[in-house]
Amino acid sequence: MGAYTWYANSIPQLESKPPEELSLEGANVTPEQLVSAGEKIFQGKGQCTTCHTVGGPGGRGPDLGGVGGRAATRKPGTPAKAYLVESLINPAAFLVPNYPNIMPKVDRAPIGLNRSELWAAVAYLESLGGTVDVKLDDIPATAGAPAGGGAAAASIELPGDPKAGQAVFAGKGTCIACHKAGSIGASPLGPDLSNIGATQTVDYVMGKILDPKSKGTVSGFPAGVMPQTFGQMLTAKEYIDLVSFLLTLKGGGAAPAAAAPKA
Amino acid sequence: MEQAGALARCGPDRTTHGAFSATTVRTEDGRRVSPGRDLARRSLLPLAVLAAGLCLLTAPAWGQQAAQSGESAYRAFPYIGSRLAVWVISQIHLNFAAFILGVPIFAVIIEFLGWRAGLDRPEGRRFDWLAHEFVKLTFAAFSTTALLGGLLLFLLITLYPKFWTYMSQIFAPTMWLYAALFFLETFAVYLWYYGWDWLAGPRKWIHVSLGILCNLLGTAILFVSNSWVTFMLSPPKDKIDEAGRFVGTLWDAVNNFTWMPINVHRLIANIVFGGTVAAAYAAFRFLGARTEAERAQYDWMGYIGNFVAISALMVLPFAGYWLGFEIYGFDQTMGITMMGGFMSWLWIVQAILIGVLFLGSNYYLWLGMERIPGSERYRPYIKYLLLVLALGFMVWATPHTLIASVEEVRRMGGTHHKFLGVFGVMSAKNTAVNLMILTTFLSYLLYRRANKVATRPWARTGMAAQWAAFGLAAAVVVGLGVYGYFVEPIVRIRRFSPLQVGTVLLTIAVVMAIDIPMFKGARSTGAIRWGTIAPRSQYVLVLLAVTFTWLMGLMGFARSGIRQHWHIYGVMRDTSPDAATPALGYAANIISITTILFLGMVMFIFWLGGLGGRGHEEAHAGEGAPGMTAPVPISGGGPGPRS
Repeated sequence: MGAYTWYANSIPQLESKPPEELSLEGANVTPEQLVSAGEKIFQGKGQCTTCHTVGGPGGRGPDLGGVGGRAATRKPGTPAKAYLVESLINPAAFLVPNYPNIMPKVDRAPIGLNRSELWAAVAYLESLGGTVDVKLDDIPATAGAPAGGGAAAASIELPGDPKAGQAVFAGKGTCIACHKAGSIGASPLGPDLSNIGATQTVDYVMGKILDPKSKGTVSGFPAGVMPQTFGQMLTAKEYIDLVSFLLTLKGGGAAPAAAAPKA
Repeated sequence: MEQAGALARCGPDRTTHGAFSATTVRTEDGRRVSPGRDLARRSLLPLAVLAAGLCLLTAPAWGQQAAQSGESAYRAFPYIGSRLAVWVISQIHLNFAAFILGVPIFAVIIEFLGWRAGLDRPEGRRFDWLAHEFVKLTFAAFSTTALLGGLLLFLLITLYPKFWTYMSQIFAPTMWLYAALFFLETFAVYLWYYGWDWLAGPRKWIHVSLGILCNLLGTAILFVSNSWVTFMLSPPKDKIDEAGRFVGTLWDAVNNFTWMPINVHRLIANIVFGGTVAAAYAAFRFLGARTEAERAQYDWMGYIGNFVAISALMVLPFAGYWLGFEIYGFDQTMGITMMGGFMSWLWIVQAILIGVLFLGSNYYLWLGMERIPGSERYRPYIKYLLLVLALGFMVWATPHTLIASVEEVRRMGGTHHKFLGVFGVMSAKNTAVNLMILTTFLSYLLYRRANKVATRPWARTGMAAQWAAFGLAAAVVVGLGVYGYFVEPIVRIRRFSPLQVGTVLLTIAVVMAIDIPMFKGARSTGAIRWGTIAPRSQYVLVLLAVTFTWLMGLMGFARSGIRQHWHIYGVMRDTSPDAATPALGYAANIISITTILFLGMVMFIFWLGGLGGRGHEEAHAGEGAPGMTAPVPISGGGPGPRS
């Protein structure tokens, strides 16, 4: 038994950590930052390297070296970025000859890339021999996992009042000092939150308010700016109301809480 | 890392540890009687099981209340954390459960053999005694299994309330069924054990039927609990909506991708496990035996335990292959993570363990041949068998892709070693394991005929046909293995591997079909001298039990670990602080701890049982296995009554 244990401890120790969420919504991201983020997703959370190589001999899936240049020629009339987006969220729509239909939809569990991550992944793939021109709007609004994993996140219904939360956002919470939420606020200091309800999990939003450092920093924004004191500053009700409000933000120009019924 | 397949038996029962008691003793007329003091235990275990069952039945509601009360999805277990607490308890519980489900399978077969041989004959009575000994071991572990199951249940409900609620919403009916089956099995095993003498003589068929019923119930329990753990592993994707809600029927949830492969794999593995632990128990008793008769009977018991284990072990890799195949079918990403991702090194460790099992089992057989007059004829061949096993072991344990530094890669000439890398792929490993299985079967065949000389007029032809079958099988296995390098993976996986497996199984069937009639009425070169086997052989039996227990822990980690950061793969994400799947070294440390705890508990339970029986054994000295006086002449090595 000692020998087995010793041997298992002597070989390379690989731990499988849960992937982190990447949020680029409302961020001022340069193409280089986008490509860099996409490469990390390609090699990490996206699990792309399990089947694909880049400039290698190929694997279970096609080699992706130069895919940015040839993507535009795969399906006549389909631009490169559209082809790449489709390859990620609906891989069975077009199969490269001689390869089996084994690729999962990467915006669905278990890989579950969100919209920002899809954006970055496509940018990285475009950079492989092509031009990076993909915008967030090129990623369908319906794409992107309800990150956090299906039931655990989606089944949560918070008891908060979004309308009251909107008041916290604009008032006591002073969120509008840095963030935009639909038609409320306009400061570019922090990321635009107008679509955060569609792209982030409840866990992420709650954690980001109480302990911003634990959720990292959105690309393109300086680290450590968001105060760590909201947990002490807000009452429990205000906190839940605020989260409820943020979760109603799913795109659109107006702050929806003003017109929407209680979530 | 909940091993919720083990969500299970509920109910502490500390009153029955000694209830298996070697306290049933044989009277002068051959009947067994159980001392009256077991009566209290007999009445206490059902009560404990009843209480445990009630706990189980109320548990789903309890878990739901916890989750609906708005409390956290997780609670922390003091000091060691929730994951480790659940991991350790579920693994030990699974070990015990595997033992009490595996042993009765071969116990009833042995009882059947004894019954058909005739209980008025020494051979028949000896098998009947052995079956009773095996059931006695099961009985000893029964209440501990229930206790650990109850503990695991409480841990899951209290530490993972949201997960528990989700599972119980889907599987509640099966949990009721599980409880009912557990009640039935408990009483059936009770009746089987305590009714051994009551249902003797002309009513023996009822007793054997009862043993079969116990096994059917036990298997049903296994299948029900497997549905939970396999749902966590491979929930039916088309029955899960966007919000992660399960929208299928209960049967859809139960009959998921990996349910049947794991049912079969665990059923076979339980038999192997039961055999190795029972053999280790026999070894323990052999080494402590004070009389030659005792040594002889436990030598024989160890042999049978090992025979059962090795027989089931030979088909276990095939069941494992099917399971892996289905995992790939369910989700390519999961399959690739398992075999080529962060878990790829786990299979190298597994190869080492299985190599030890094959080498150990064969070594035990070779040592056993030394107590068989006439076996000298076959000893020169052993070195060749050892060579094939050792080569197979090395191939199986060869990694495909090494994680190496740039300098190491340069020196090696690439990420794969230019020569050894060839042996790291599936084609080579499948070939190796099939050859090892054939070799192990050959070892058994030599053992079986060690003291026999065939007298049939067609014996020479029969022998030639057997060798031809072996040669042909080896050629087919190697040929397909080599050809496998030149075809698409799908051809190798779907055609060649099943063909290799089929060839080996067919060869075993054909060779045995020739062997049995060929050695019927064979001339004996001398009786087996039971009890004279070298003591080191008994340590081999202990090694096999330890190795297989460790292997079970490793496979538990693999099955659970390939879900990575998901409680239910792709449906319910693990957002607890323990969401990361640990590296193999950490897992190995935990596996060793659980193995030590399990073996320690087993030894303690067996020791307690020995205490109860010792007085009676002294009072009835010499009343061991009927007809077992050492050295015992038995005209063959096989487990059959006449072999």
